[in-house]
Order: sequence, then C-alpha cells, then structure tokens
Amino acid sequence: MRRALGVELMKVRHSTVVVTTTVLIVVLVPLLCLGFVAVARAGGAGAVALKAQAMVVGEGWEAYLGLLAQVVSIGMFIGPGVVVAWAFGREFADRTFPSLFGLPVSRGSIAAAKFTVLACWGLALTILTLGVAVLVGLVAQVGSLTGIDLAGRLWRLLVAGFLTSMISLTIGFVASIGRGYLPAFGALILLTMITQIAVLFGTGGWFPYAAPGLFAIAGTADVAEVSAVQLLLVPVTTVLVAWATVRWWNHAEVV
Amino acid sequence: MSEPLEARNLVRLFGDERAVDGVDFQVRSGEIHAIVGLNGAGKTTLMRLLLGMVAPTSGKALIDGVNARSAPPDVWVRVGSLTETPFSYPELTVTENLQAAALLHGVKDVRARVARVIDEFELGHWTHRRARALSLGNQQRLGLAAALIHRPSILILDEPANALDPAGVVFIRDLMRAAAERDAAVMVSSHHLDQLARVADRISVLHRGRLIGTLDPHGTDLEQQFFDIVYRDDRERGLA
Repeated sequence: MRRALGVELMKVRHSTVVVTTTVLIVVLVPLLCLGFVAVARAGGAGAVALKAQAMVVGEGWEAYLGLLAQVVSIGMFIGPGVVVAWAFGREFADRTFPSLFGLPVSRGSIAAAKFTVLACWGLALTILTLGVAVLVGLVAQVGSLTGIDLAGRLWRLLVAGFLTSMISLTIGFVASIGRGYLPAFGALILLTMITQIAVLFGTGGWFPYAAPGLFAIAGTADVAEVSAVQLLLVPVTTVLVAWATVRWWNHAEVV
Repeated sequence: MSEPLEARNLVRLFGDERAVDGVDFQVRSGEIHAIVGLNGAGKTTLMRLLLGMVAPTSGKALIDGVNARSAPPDVWVRVGSLTETPFSYPELTVTENLQAAALLHGVKDVRARVARVIDEFELGHWTHRRARALSLGNQQRLGLAAALIHRPSILILDEPANALDPAGVVFIRDLMRAAAERDAAVMVSSHHLDQLARVADRISVLHRGRLIGTLDPHGTDLEQQFFDIVYRDDRERGLA
C-alpha cells in the first residue's frame, strides 16, 4: 500500500484538476461569502440583492460565518466530488486500466491509496479554506469579534467540511463501476438534488449527504442540532462504500 | 513442472463469440514465442487471460504455474507487460512516470533504476517532458521502459512495435533477444510478420480464437505460409 500511496500522491500533486479545484475553493468560497454579505447589507431590490438578503442572517461575523457554513456544505461536496470522479474514472477514460494488472501491487491497494490521499487532501482543503476565510474576514473588517465564539464556530465548520469531503469519496464507487467520469458527474448532480429534497422534507439529519451541512448551520438558522449518531453515519457510509469500491477494483475485468 | 506461461484448453466467450477457443500454449524460459494473427484473431484476449485481466470461461491460464486471476504479488513481481495503451500518466514527466512504474513493480532502488532505464531506452532528451507532450513513438518507448524497469523474467508484449519507427523496431527486437538471453520467457504478439520473424524462436498462428498452426521463423516467405494456413482453416470450417 505504501508504494501505491507514493504513486497516487505524485498524480494528485501534478493534477490540473486537483490544483484548479483547490484554488477555486480556497479563494472563491471566502470571497463569495464576503461579496454576498456586502450585497445583502447594501440593501437594494434587485434579484441578486433579494437572494443575498434571504441567505444572510445576522450581522458582521455572525452573517459571514453563517453564509460560510452554507457555501462550505455545498462546495466541499461538489469540488472534491469532481476530483474523486477524476481520480477513480481517469484510468478508464484514458484506457490505462489494463496497465494496472500484472503488478505486485493489487488494484485494491491502488483504490485504497486513492481514498487515503483524497481523504487527506479533503482535510487539508477544509483547513486551508477556513484559514483563508478567517484572514479575508479580518482583512475586510467584516465586523467585531466580540461575543462571537470564533473557535467553536470554526471547529463546527471544520468537522462539517471534512465530513462533507469524506462523503464525496463515495462518488469513486460510481466512477469505478461506471468506468469513467461521466457516470460519476451524473451521480454528483443527482445526489446534490436528493440532498436538497431530503433537507426540505426534514429527514436530512439521517441522510449522510445532508447531515454535515445541517451540522454546519445548526443553531445559526432555524435548524435542529444534528446528533452524534447521525454524524457517525457519514464515516460509516464512506467506509462501507470505500470497501465495496476496493473489492470491485480487485475483481473487475478489463472490458 | 509448469512453464512460466501456459494456457491449457483455454476458452473465453463474449456472449456467443468464442474469442479464445480451446488454446493450448506455452512459453518456456529463454524463449521468444510469437503469436501472429489477423485483427480480431484473439491475440489480445489470450494475453489478457494470461495477465489475469479477464477470467477464463473454461480451461486454465497459468503464470508460473499459478492461476493468473489469483496469482500472488511474488509472481507478479517477476512479470512485465505492455498491452494496449502504454503505462503513462499524461500529467507526469518521463522521469516521474518511470518512478511510478518502478514503485508499482516493487523496485527497491527506484532512483538508480530509473536513471539506468532512461539511459537504456534513450529517453534522456525527454526526462523532464510531460508524457502528454511526447510523440506516439516515444510514448510507446516510455511504456516499454515502464514494463521492463524491474528486469522481469516473464515478458508479455502486445503489438510492442506500434508507433515505433524502423530504428524503434530494431530496438524492440534487440530488447526481446536480450531478455531471452537472460533466460526470460517472452510472449509477443503482432500482425506484422517481418517484425517478429527475425527474433522469435517459435511462431504460432492464432485465427478465430484457435491456434491453427506454426510458422518456421527461419523459413522463407512467411506471409505466404501464414495466409496458406489461415485460408486452409477457413476452408475446413466452411468459412471461405
């Protein structure tokens, strides 16, 4: 597995998809939140202004961090989901899957290495995004920090962001059995839609794709707290799907 | 005792199509055994079976005496292969691709082995170039270098001369001969008879999934011999 990890790390470090996604999320998420807060506070009756006013709750850091929680819960699923689709679908799209046979390193180890590297990248991405978001907030003087439990709020966002990126790893299963990026992109869109529906129906806490997002905004809006059991379903689902994916890679034929 | 590569009454069906149909076949240590056949004859499927890429419908595909689908790492560490698309990741440089191949093939001294193979395969000019920017011929050369980086004792090459210029074809022939001289078992497929005749110890003809005859590598007019065998088989099956 150590050797497979070395190769997967090398591929991720040099990937345009990974670098682009990292930059887009780390830079755009905080700037988008800052922009929306500014638009909402500027008033106005335009379509964008009204939408921003509906999304932004409270003032200053309260508003900024609340919006950050909403954006992170979607961004950390779609961004890493695209990277996961690429990582697991690329050998099929490039037709290099056959070159992973006849090696002392099993295909299952290669798939497990992909999961490990992407999980670490997801954690690093979350930390980096939150770090930049705080810096942007301070530099832009979003508001006073008095009365704001910044550490507590960031911890909640860190857990939510990492768990969201973790559940996006399940897209790897679709990219594998679908043998390419496109089925995985389809699954990404479909799961995003189902997540929205689950939240609308009030069952999101028990849906592993929605639970981290609800945990991120719990308490800041009219959203109930997510229980530890509900959050635990996220790593459990991820591990089960990862196990199925590794098994599939070990037994899949070249077609 | 089993041979390094062996097929015993090997069959693989794809729906109603018999891609490989009762093939018995061996490659001995120190031997280059060439498989020739028209497009769609079953050469690639036979190689896929011997590399464990697909499971047999019946019969056995053995590598060092072990079922290819369940062979352990200590068997695969002795195997090098190039089938279909060569091993290369477009975003990695030539050096990085070879480092990746060395890691996956279980090479211990990765850096030294990569340096040596770059020299052997005359890839020095392109070491820092990304694989996506290489010509098709150099991508094939990179794939061959990746397949041989661990000095395998069993070598399976499917159309290795694809995209290579005449100098590259001579290079691949020398490469196979050198591997056989160090006692490696070499299986190679091609639909270009002339590329193989000068180097193979045995040439088997595969047609419509079956081995239907052999060619003498030192014989004359191999093309005529090949088509005689193929047309005779088609007539016997009532297909001509």
